[in-house]
Amino acid sequence: MRFLIFSVVLIVSFSSCGTYKFPNAVGVRESTQQELNSYYVDTTQTYVYRFNMQAFKQAQNGNLLIETQAPEIHRIAMISDFGQTLFDISIYPDRYDLHYAMPDLNKKLLLREVTDIFRTLTARRYAQSALLFMDKQHFPVYEVDHTYYTLKERHVAQILRTKAGKERFTIEFLDVDQRIAEAIRVTHAKYPITLDFKLDRKQSNL
Amino acid sequence: MKTSAFYFFLFFVPFFLGAQTRKMTAAEVTTFQQKLKKVAEVKSLSADFVQYKHVSFMKKPVESAGKVYVKQPNKLSWAYVSPFQYKMVFRDGKVFINDQGNKKTLDIGNSKQFEKISTLISSSMKGGGYDEKEFAVSYFKKGNADLVKLIPKLNDAKKYVKEIELLFSTKDGQVEEVKLIEPSNDYTRFVLTNRKINTGIEDAVFNL
Repeated sequence: MRFLIFSVVLIVSFSSCGTYKFPNAVGVRESTQQELNSYYVDTTQTYVYRFNMQAFKQAQNGNLLIETQAPEIHRIAMISDFGQTLFDISIYPDRYDLHYAMPDLNKKLLLREVTDIFRTLTARRYAQSALLFMDKQHFPVYEVDHTYYTLKERHVAQILRTKAGKERFTIEFLDVDQRIAEAIRVTHAKYPITLDFKLDRKQSNL
Repeated sequence: MKTSAFYFFLFFVPFFLGAQTRKMTAAEVTTFQQKLKKVAEVKSLSADFVQYKHVSFMKKPVESAGKVYVKQPNKLSWAYVSPFQYKMVFRDGKVFINDQGNKKTLDIGNSKQFEKISTLISSSMKGGGYDEKEFAVSYFKKGNADLVKLIPKLNDAKKYVKEIELLFSTKDGQVEEVKLIEPSNDYTRFVLTNRKINTGIEDAVFNL
């Protein structure tokens, strides 16, 4: 019995504290402080994206609204095509304030996941460690808090978020023009969810 | 003195600019309900619409525009043309969707809010009043226009909609604005223009 408890504790410990192995990385090095993900730091700007969500074989279209209240605080709302607010949430580095969620979506686990995705998408971070690759031509990858930022042409091209040693979701900045993210794709690794965002410049305040 | 006059205008003038809203008298309610019954003769309606979604933290509303077609007894086509193309057709208890070439069919229950508004527009066209079991109905005058406020009574509807306002045109007595207020006080305003009554709508409009 004691052995069984020990084994369970061991398994849980290993599964929750596993280390994610980034593809082709051979190690980690200290780096000078690197600012990452500065797409949403300007508090005078608001962004309107058209979104298409495919989740569990269901599709939903609408608009994503992003307001930068401070470089690390963002207000995010998703509204359906017909104008119904799906959720409206302020995201802080360590918590969130829910202003409204449609009753069907007002579930703690779901909101926590949504917050994690949008915090990762919008928050500026600073990294002091970078990954080492055998292939010296590899794009630089920085790591902060189990999250990996791949840089291309001096901007973040991909964010890979991990949890318990496994990939959780990936955010790809597919089209970046003058430091503004025009097209974004979020792919969840655990659940069958993909989100595509396309900037609506006319309705955004840039 | 000049400063006082400036502040007077700054603070009080805006209150006089918009059309004032007041409750209808009992006689006005009777007249309005009689007008609604005349509207029952409407067999079809087509209109352009602009949808304004107001979110508290956004300085300007998110806009989209399109065309709506209604044919009695129960056909409705709601098509966005700007800034995206998206068409929904309600008929035979189903919603048919064309999302930029991707077509699909849903049961009507999956679009509760749309069902609500389509029912309201249709019932406003038909006249005969509103379901007082479902809504607390109150009647107002906004300037010369008639305004109906509907507050859902049923708990299920209350979760999604705090209040619905229908503003009727002074020219043709048709619904020209629908405002859906959410429990958070964010709201969506639909403005219907270029309304055409009983001009005959091809059935093809209700196909994708």
